[in-house]
Amino acid sequence: MLLDFHRLGGLKWVLVGIGLFVAAFLLLPILFTVALSFGSSQWLVFPPPSWTLRWYEELFADSRWIDSTLTSLQCAVLVTILSVSLGLLASFGLVRGSFPGREAIRAMFLMPMIMPVIVVAVALYAFFLRLGLGGTLFGFVLAHTVIALPLAITSICNALERFDKSIEDAAVLCGANPWEAKLRITLPAIREGLFGAAVFAFLTSWDEVVIAIFMASPTLQTLPVHIWGTLRQDLTPVVAAASTLLLLFTLALMLVAAWFRGRTK
Amino acid sequence: MTSVSIVERGGGPPQRRRRRGGGFSYVLPALVLLLIVFVLPVLLLLLRSVTEPELGLQNYRELVESATYGRVFLNTFLVSSVVTAITVLVGFPIAWLLVILPKRWADLLFGIIILSMWTNLLARTYAWMVLLQRTGVINKTLIGLGIIDEPLTLVNNLVGVTIGMTYIMLPFIILPLVTTMRGIEPDLLRAAALCGAGRLDAFRRVLLPLSLPGIAAGGLMTFVMSLGYFVTPSLLGGTSNMMAAELIAQLIQSLLNWGMGGAAAFALLVLTLALYALQLRLFRRTQAGRA
Repeated sequence: MLLDFHRLGGLKWVLVGIGLFVAAFLLLPILFTVALSFGSSQWLVFPPPSWTLRWYEELFADSRWIDSTLTSLQCAVLVTILSVSLGLLASFGLVRGSFPGREAIRAMFLMPMIMPVIVVAVALYAFFLRLGLGGTLFGFVLAHTVIALPLAITSICNALERFDKSIEDAAVLCGANPWEAKLRITLPAIREGLFGAAVFAFLTSWDEVVIAIFMASPTLQTLPVHIWGTLRQDLTPVVAAASTLLLLFTLALMLVAAWFRGRTK
Repeated sequence: MTSVSIVERGGGPPQRRRRRGGGFSYVLPALVLLLIVFVLPVLLLLLRSVTEPELGLQNYRELVESATYGRVFLNTFLVSSVVTAITVLVGFPIAWLLVILPKRWADLLFGIIILSMWTNLLARTYAWMVLLQRTGVINKTLIGLGIIDEPLTLVNNLVGVTIGMTYIMLPFIILPLVTTMRGIEPDLLRAAALCGAGRLDAFRRVLLPLSLPGIAAGGLMTFVMSLGYFVTPSLLGGTSNMMAAELIAQLIQSLLNWGMGGAAAFALLVLTLALYALQLRLFRRTQAGRA
């Protein structure tokens, strides 16, 4: 009865023990960072001698943190728009089209996800250097869209494959023009896939650091690049404060995702 | 407002849509982007590996013959193997637990895994950099418990890299394993018990073999991802124990040696693709075997 929790006997407690250990292992660094961000010790003494908001003040007083955050947001939003719209179009072609080489093209779209990011980063670094796109927002957006696209396409293709096309055809038969039918019948039906694609695309760009390191210039950095640069110098608690804010952002995103899933079901 | 113009250009409806046999025009915008911003740059980089400093395979020869590069690839293999082994050993019981736990507890554990996975990569790495320091919490706790006398060197070496990478890879093995294990019929195990199989037999001959596709898929994915990982090794590792991705970055960014960098990138690329091909084959076979 290995798949029945209540009949596992002693083994049950072994599994629960491992589960508790792993849950602690996964949570420990996150909680620790939050605690450090409010601790007064510059040298990251733990437990902190007293509590302070100093690191948050330093964070908000430093224009480099603010600027890089804004750049990251801008970039992530543009990447989301671009990869969801390109991904939606491509998914229609991949799922419903019947042109030669369709499977090969579909596999090719997944390549940037499979490739080691460092290879993509280095290749784009050289390429953008030649085109003068290094250190520009446009360069960031292009590069991140390429690696966000596989996730967007996968998510939308899955949704589109589950959708029964005869419903769309029925709307056309009832007099809707094909674009209207797509817009008002198909898109709402696959909204979960579109939402998933948007979240994945946003997070891909927002969290991406390797390509961004190669793409950044001293004047244009994303938030991960700024954190990276700071970490290479010292382990200041300001990074803990930034991490805590990022964690809040992640939690908010998870709640939105859960709410959305609850609403569509 | 550049975004709007880009979307309009890329996302505009194709001129005339055929009902059957078409669909290619829909794929075109994304395909063009992929070809220009992905395929072309990668090919150009690979080209430089055989043209710089001069035409020929000398970069690849050096890559194979040099002891320094050999050690980097050995480190990479070593860390990736250890990380894969640990994540499989720890991930399997966790996936098992997730499948059988009462829903409320399973949801909680799931939430913790997703939270750690979605937390900013650098934030997680920062936490480990602080925790593993000589004067960090882990060393202090171990000394306080009397387990060690001197602080251990847990960071700036492969130990730190392994701990940090295990932390990051764990969710990637748990999630596919859960999918596989959810698909196992509990009746099969009941049948095994009815036929007189003890717990160990049922585990060894029913549960484990049926979970194997998930273990293989998750394990291979972890291994491949570890091979090309850059961030954690460069922050938690030392300069004397480089891994492949750091080597590529250093060759190109600091040493401006595009030929060597391209060759190392190509080696990593071929290795990655070969392992993915292997995974696809393994998957097809297990699926065919089941049908």
